[in-house]
Amino acid sequence: MKNPIRKLTWLVGLAAAFAVASAMGASAHTTASSTIKSGGTLNVGWEQAFNFTDNGDPTGEYLGEWFGIADNLLVRTLVGYNHTAGAAGNTIVADIATSVPKPTNGGKTYTFHIKQGVMFSPPVSRQVTCADEVNAMQRLANPKDGGQYAFYYTVIKGWDSYAAGKAKSISGISCPNSSTVVFNLTQPTGDFLFRMAMPATGPQPAEVTKCFEGQAGKYALDLISTAGYMYQGIDQVDISSCSKLKPASGYDGQTQMILVRNPNYKQSTDPTRKNYVDEVRFLIDASDVDIYNKVENGTFDLAESTIPNTVLKKYATDPSLKSHFFQNSGDRTWYLTMNMTQPPFDDVHVRRAMNWIIDKAALRQIWGGPTVGDIANHIVPDTLFNFKLQEYKPYQTAGDHGSVTKARLAMKGSPYADKTGMCTASVCKNVLLIADARAVDPGMVSVIQQDAAKIGITFTVRTINGAYPTVQTVAKNVPISERPGWGKDYADPVTFFEPLFDGRTIIPTGNTNYSLVGITKSQCTKLKVTGDCNTYNPKTGLGVLSVNSMLDKCSPLTGTARTVCYEGMDKYLSTQVVPWVPWMWSKVTRITSSNVTHYQFDQFGTTPAYAMISVKS
Amino acid sequence: MTLYIIRRLLWAVLVVNVVVFITFLVFFKLPNGNPALRFVGKFPTQENIQLAEQRLHLNRPFYIEYFYFVKNFFAGDEYGWPGLGYSYGNYVSVRSEVLQRAPRTLFLIAGAATIWLIFGVAIGVLSAVRRRTAVDRAAMGFALFGISAPVFWLGLMALFLIWKKLGLTDGSGYTPIDQGIGHWFGHLILPWTVLALLYIAIYARLTRNNLLETLGEDYIRTARAKGLSERRVILKHGLRASLTPIVTIFGLDMALLVGGAIITESVFNIQGLGWLAYNGAITQDLPSVLGVVICTATAVALANLIVDILYAFLDPRVRYA
Repeated sequence: MKNPIRKLTWLVGLAAAFAVASAMGASAHTTASSTIKSGGTLNVGWEQAFNFTDNGDPTGEYLGEWFGIADNLLVRTLVGYNHTAGAAGNTIVADIATSVPKPTNGGKTYTFHIKQGVMFSPPVSRQVTCADEVNAMQRLANPKDGGQYAFYYTVIKGWDSYAAGKAKSISGISCPNSSTVVFNLTQPTGDFLFRMAMPATGPQPAEVTKCFEGQAGKYALDLISTAGYMYQGIDQVDISSCSKLKPASGYDGQTQMILVRNPNYKQSTDPTRKNYVDEVRFLIDASDVDIYNKVENGTFDLAESTIPNTVLKKYATDPSLKSHFFQNSGDRTWYLTMNMTQPPFDDVHVRRAMNWIIDKAALRQIWGGPTVGDIANHIVPDTLFNFKLQEYKPYQTAGDHGSVTKARLAMKGSPYADKTGMCTASVCKNVLLIADARAVDPGMVSVIQQDAAKIGITFTVRTINGAYPTVQTVAKNVPISERPGWGKDYADPVTFFEPLFDGRTIIPTGNTNYSLVGITKSQCTKLKVTGDCNTYNPKTGLGVLSVNSMLDKCSPLTGTARTVCYEGMDKYLSTQVVPWVPWMWSKVTRITSSNVTHYQFDQFGTTPAYAMISVKS
Repeated sequence: MTLYIIRRLLWAVLVVNVVVFITFLVFFKLPNGNPALRFVGKFPTQENIQLAEQRLHLNRPFYIEYFYFVKNFFAGDEYGWPGLGYSYGNYVSVRSEVLQRAPRTLFLIAGAATIWLIFGVAIGVLSAVRRRTAVDRAAMGFALFGISAPVFWLGLMALFLIWKKLGLTDGSGYTPIDQGIGHWFGHLILPWTVLALLYIAIYARLTRNNLLETLGEDYIRTARAKGLSERRVILKHGLRASLTPIVTIFGLDMALLVGGAIITESVFNIQGLGWLAYNGAITQDLPSVLGVVICTATAVALANLIVDILYAFLDPRVRYA
């Protein structure tokens, strides 16, 4: 919850959301049938602050909302997406490359050919070449330039040497000619094309980026576009020397980002973007209430903001407004995380019992009911498996309200429990639960407390405004938290499994493997973990399980074999490792003004497909 | 008097320094996690975190960072003088952020203060001279409403009725005065009124109570006995003496609003200094917070000084050596 007004609105509106949820049923739609025309201005209200993680510098920026802007409007990549909803929007297509390459050399070499006519916006105004791709990748590899997901590219030969400053270039990237770029990998990597569709890999001109070497984030103020739009005023920027370079007037990092058409863009080179509007304005606005007032009166056409429940109810129930109400999969899982080193959650029986006892429907209701998401039955959202695991529900209970019987049955195997399946050991009492301080958190904590008490677990709740830093500090030894959620980076389950469950990447602060899956004894000592770091003992159910070898096995695979491998990993995690209680796969809801004549969702960014939206004026 | 002012100004510098030091200390020593984590992505490496700490100057001891901050403040930095560094959030200089947002907040405060001072004192006087009449009760009822009604509720209601339903103003947001005084006024009239309502209520009650107390003094009886008109007795002898506490609170109220009008700024989407401070606080953007803290602390210190000087003019008994 970002601000007090919104917080209050949340509280007042939670009850209303229930009514909305009931009224909506399954009738939410994803596109509007309408008249599409070119021209006009798309005004997007953005709540409170852009909150970009690197100010919108493509090398480092890691905010999903920015991916939506970049991918649609500013940054073209060698391969990309169709900017549409569902599975079609998660399919890799050629963007500035002439075609999607097939890997050679046993899956270790990828060769891209750059289309002629793909130009940088003013003031650079020239054809994109292989050197620009190399430049973007080198920025990404150089830690001082702030790359936040460089870990996806360490499979490229010579990446680590360059990153460590031991080489002057990345040996695995070469330019046989100005329009051909070749990537050589150290091992087959099944999702490499997905990685090459991330905005950080989009070509960038060295004549501008050289002015920002070692200054992470600052290039964002002078980002040179390759797509249909560019910052307003970027064409007035003098790039003849770094000292003359001033920020473009269209983006100030704090109140607005105004994008106008890129005169160098050739639509013929881009089959994936329609670029209907002439101008896109992202404008910061202080409150969600104000934003939606402006959406209603047409001042804004769209919003990047929490939707007040009164507004949600209105749009969901008024038939005349339903054509402006859109819902799509958010490809994000919300879950309770349990730390495998901390009693009683060091016992898999307890973790399974927690999965059986938690009333997921009640948790979702606190967030607004079925309007806001689907019940999560396993780790990775079904959308990322093309719904192949849709029927996989290892802890399904009637109405998703949890089951005392099944929970106690699961608990019976635990050394902490008595014969009735109640957790009676002292470690089950006053277990530390870290909660956040959003409007939804008190209700969530209450549900978790009541449910866990049915199997004998009680909590000492510590509420922290912004709980992530605490949960992400390993030495805090947090046993359980209700805060976490995780969204995909791209449409491959690895974007869940590697960051969240690879024991080799656990770090002292900022750690995302909250459950400490795969942690070793030596890591425990180094990271000041105080709990049970023994390896898993199948007889007792106690100890730490690892999926490191499974991760290594799945990573190089492609196609069906890859999907099957990750499906197996999800099942293994859900039933054998049990690090979480996943409870919701959230949806993305958007409301448009009556000025919008066509709306489309971008599944990659899980944002509006800005390049595919048209307005009346 | 000049010596007194110089002495007070030196004290003000010291006070601002102490406030900044404490803010620095709180951010460095009691942070909710490492601010660098915001800039390293959701799956960071230890090396990324260290580089971000280095970039944000979080890797050096607190006292060294404080020293550099004070040095840059007084000597200026790459963005000019005073050197306030750049925002962790958007790499824009804090100085430019403060300069961009300060007019919004200052216009908001100035307009609202004018309204509340005029109406608050007028209502208070009216209420005092018509004590226990329907006018008094209506005025105090209004004061009670003003104090009781939360600013965010009043703001939302005002926007809903006056802007959304009746279309009488330009609604939320801010238009700089150089882009048209009409739109500037149209955007500010509602926030002025809503912010002023709370203070009108407070000032009306304060004025009424002070004036009633003053009107019971012997010298007022003497003035009346001398045959002065009631208007002269109330306005020249009564109100002047009653204004000393009003001036005290007025100065402080205005100064505190420099960084504290967050709710009004939020509801009306003004995005002034309060908004900058709030955003800075929740995103651990220390430079932005410090920028606003310096503004607010300076404003409070200066307001105190001005109030003390005004005392001398309002109350002949007060003289500064």
